Amino acid sequence: MKTKNSDNYTKWQKSFERETKIDLNEASSETDEGIEIKPVYTKADIENLSFVDNDSLPGQLPYTRGPKASMYTNRPWTIRQYAGFSTAEESNDFYKKNLKSGQKGLSVAFDLPTHRGYDSDDDLVMGDVGKAGVAIDTVEDMKILFNDIPLDQMSVSMTMNGAVLPVLSSFIVAGEEQNVNKNLLSGTIQNDILKEFMVRNTYIYPPDPSMKIVADIIEFTSKEMPKFNSISISGYHMQEAGADNVLELAYTLADGMEYVRAALSKGLDIDDFAPRLSFFFAIGTDFFMEIAKLRAARTLWYKIMKDFGAKNEKSLILRTHCQTSGVSLTEKDPYNNIIRTSYEALSAILGGTQSLHTNSFDEAIALPTDESARIARNTQLILQNETGVTNTVDPLAGSYFIESLTDELSKKAWEVIEEIESLGGMTKAVKAGVPKLKIEESATKKQAKVDSGSRVVVGVNKFKNPKEPKVDVRVIDNNRVRDDQIKKINDIKASRDQKAVDESLAKLVTAAKEDSNLLARSIDAIKNRATVGEVSKALEQVYGRHFATSLSVSGVYGKHFEGDEDFMNVTKKVNIFEEENGRRPRVLVVKMGQDGHDRGAKIVATSFADMGFDVDMGPLFQSPKDVAKDAIENDVHAIGVSTLAAGHKTLVPELMKSLKEIDPKSKIIVFVGGVIPEQDYNFLYENNISAIFGPGSNIIESAEKVIDLISDKIHEHN
Amino acid sequence: MQLVEKIIKGERAAIAKAITLVESSRENDKNESRKLISELLNKPGKSIRVGFSGPPGVGKSTFIESFGRYLVEKNYKLGILAIDPSSQITGGSILGDKTRMIEISKNPNTFIRSTPSRGSLGGISVGTREASIILDAAGYDFIFIETVGVGQSETMATNLVDIFSLIVGPGSGDELQGIKKGITEYADIFIVNKNDGDLKSEASKTASDYKSAISYYKKSNDTADKEVLLVSAIEQTGMEKVIETIQNIVSQNKKNKNFDERRAKQFTYWIEEEVREIIQFNIQKKIKEDGSISQLSQKVMDGKIQMFEAIEAITQNLQNK
Repeated sequence: MKTKNSDNYTKWQKSFERETKIDLNEASSETDEGIEIKPVYTKADIENLSFVDNDSLPGQLPYTRGPKASMYTNRPWTIRQYAGFSTAEESNDFYKKNLKSGQKGLSVAFDLPTHRGYDSDDDLVMGDVGKAGVAIDTVEDMKILFNDIPLDQMSVSMTMNGAVLPVLSSFIVAGEEQNVNKNLLSGTIQNDILKEFMVRNTYIYPPDPSMKIVADIIEFTSKEMPKFNSISISGYHMQEAGADNVLELAYTLADGMEYVRAALSKGLDIDDFAPRLSFFFAIGTDFFMEIAKLRAARTLWYKIMKDFGAKNEKSLILRTHCQTSGVSLTEKDPYNNIIRTSYEALSAILGGTQSLHTNSFDEAIALPTDESARIARNTQLILQNETGVTNTVDPLAGSYFIESLTDELSKKAWEVIEEIESLGGMTKAVKAGVPKLKIEESATKKQAKVDSGSRVVVGVNKFKNPKEPKVDVRVIDNNRVRDDQIKKINDIKASRDQKAVDESLAKLVTAAKEDSNLLARSIDAIKNRATVGEVSKALEQVYGRHFATSLSVSGVYGKHFEGDEDFMNVTKKVNIFEEENGRRPRVLVVKMGQDGHDRGAKIVATSFADMGFDVDMGPLFQSPKDVAKDAIENDVHAIGVSTLAAGHKTLVPELMKSLKEIDPKSKIIVFVGGVIPEQDYNFLYENNISAIFGPGSNIIESAEKVIDLISDKIHEHN
Repeated sequence: MQLVEKIIKGERAAIAKAITLVESSRENDKNESRKLISELLNKPGKSIRVGFSGPPGVGKSTFIESFGRYLVEKNYKLGILAIDPSSQITGGSILGDKTRMIEISKNPNTFIRSTPSRGSLGGISVGTREASIILDAAGYDFIFIETVGVGQSETMATNLVDIFSLIVGPGSGDELQGIKKGITEYADIFIVNKNDGDLKSEASKTASDYKSAISYYKKSNDTADKEVLLVSAIEQTGMEKVIETIQNIVSQNKKNKNFDERRAKQFTYWIEEEVREIIQFNIQKKIKEDGSISQLSQKVMDGKIQMFEAIEAITQNLQNK
């Protein structure tokens, strides 16, 4: 059938090919998700869509256009900045300042010991106290954290998954002791353990008991805390770990399905709890894809919940918080990060998020300062007050491109969801390690694209700044924080009713054995001033502590560099090294302390192996002493320490000491990679660190430097 | 030699360096390595060498972590040689075994060494035998050698260890048909792992499959009986039975001299292998220097002489050198 449209299209195609000198069939590009992006979209692209309904309006099923009819025209999204560091006193100060400057909700970041259920006085956590978040050991800390912040008026979001029972209990008790009943508390607890097993690794117990805890919390809050979101099902950390948008979307929704099933198994009615399920997505730099992702997420969740038999409209609607991408931030030319964050924020808004955190530009290096936090907040204030984006709901609806992309993304994600379901759901898939491996594969591909220059990162692999600006960062003296916390713990332990503590902990253990609700019991223990660590350890007696097994991808990185000169150069050096030394260069890649972000370590391991290194992977959560033993027994040439949680100033010198203790003549060189502020470089070099690789370091160049350093060390001694 | 003393004293760094030496592909190192091993063989320890093999995914490392924890709690010293198969096209590898041996790797009474297999000897790495001699001299009570794949059973059982055990998962009984012969012949112990949770009944079914399979095996009076054991690495159950079985087999085999005979056979095999390697090395060197192969094969191509004449001439040539 010949129509005016197809005439126009033929004409356009001719012009396009004349201008570009490229055949139209070859002019498409492909995204990380494997989605084809065409140079132009037409009406034909939005006919026969599988998931999207072109006639639907905002607040109408399948909710592609937004959860509410009026969206930001009635009330803009909530500016909810995630923050927390050092002691409860200092974080409380910081929160109050932010609230005065226009922030609307709070979002608490806890330090790693709290996440992993250790008190600040535990030997295992000496490098981590107060570093990547605030240290909470008892309800007294929680009370200080919300000092002068009325909990019946402020919605509080808490990123807590591992030690979710004692921390949520502390929040509830802190409310009570402010004279706020728990049914008035509003906010969100992340409580999303499945993604911890996939990417973030701040779990405590094995998957099955962890799922029971999630279900207990959903059960308790659905009855006692009607204004509180019992879970924030999070894809954020998956994208941060390198997942593409299809994986992020599909795994998040598949997690959601698993939580729904866990809650249903408690005998709850779906409409009793589903309205309090909330979501959390990352917004990266792929502008239109991120918009499409949020629209697709709502569309798919509607379908999922309908299939579960939900009837209440609120159960069918996906509400989400978003955060701009941390992994898109660069250490190099850091002011570029303000620009990246702004575009990402705009994506989130055009996608229709309910609340948003915008990153500070210095977060690739350290925790935000007052000044950088202000710029981050203002990014949102400007969007709300100056740009006019709040005046129209879902302004991109009807765009041939956006609608088609939304549908395409939905289709791809649905395939992945079905794959997970065919494995028996996410708990089983996680136990088998499938999603973790898929995400690592995706991460390695992305890294290879940047290192090979096929993906441009401004200021990193192209358009470099000849004069890197100096940036002041926030410094946490974690030894001081730790001392403060230990003093507080000791005071509380001295003044509490020990018998009451013991009894309530014993009841908690019994509840775990009898499979009754654990949140109620842990509230009692916390009220009696049991510590976060004590509550966690009590449950550990019943459930044990989970240790992840670790699979690795191989060959994914190297594939991007077939014939690449720099890459070949390193493999050649490795081969020469092997001939000269009778073995390949051998490197132990480790994480130390409680920092579980292992994306960087995994990428370094797989890419070094692809270049011919023998790479030993250490387990997560090792102490410097364990690392030294491992390194010496395997006679490695070098140790690569990956650090993203600011523990390096304590842990790295400790490692150097341990190496010398086992082997005073040790020639093992140590290099450090990850988030390290430049201010710390000298300190590390003084501790005999051979090299430091910040975020955005090119891995091939790093590998070459490492093999050169190893060779130098060997020759120096011969 | 100073290194020998340090090894015998149990110095961790010395043991590690010695293992590097015996694994090295450098000619100089090979000579050093032979000297070192000769000296260490004069100072034998009392280690029992146990081999663990099994298909991927049955939880070998997890079992070793669990069983190892049981042993070190009983104050045994434990050396572990993990042969990691993840060799890649480029030759590099990721050695990830230790991520599954978290607790025992911290323990001062263990020594854990991973080695890339490099595809040699069907999964056993160059130097594994020598490494176990080093750990023996260093005073470890048990030396575990872990490899992947059932294909290595024969090499491992006949060359390296005193006891060879195969770890299998629930439901693996079906595969038994195809590999029965090799298994019944070489394995001393069958360990059915994952005897926990939902898999319990499947695991005991698999155990009885194995039991009936080995019952066909002709028993001889002087060898210890093969055993099938059910364990759960995750729940750490069945471990006392594993150590009991190992000790029983050892003491029975020692009584009827099977233990020493096996070691003697392994020793003979080793000598044979070394001789073969040296001769091969020398011949290859000669062939390189000689150059007559290419000349004579050209003559064969040109139809001037017969192929067998050429072979005859070349061998004569090499033998006379």
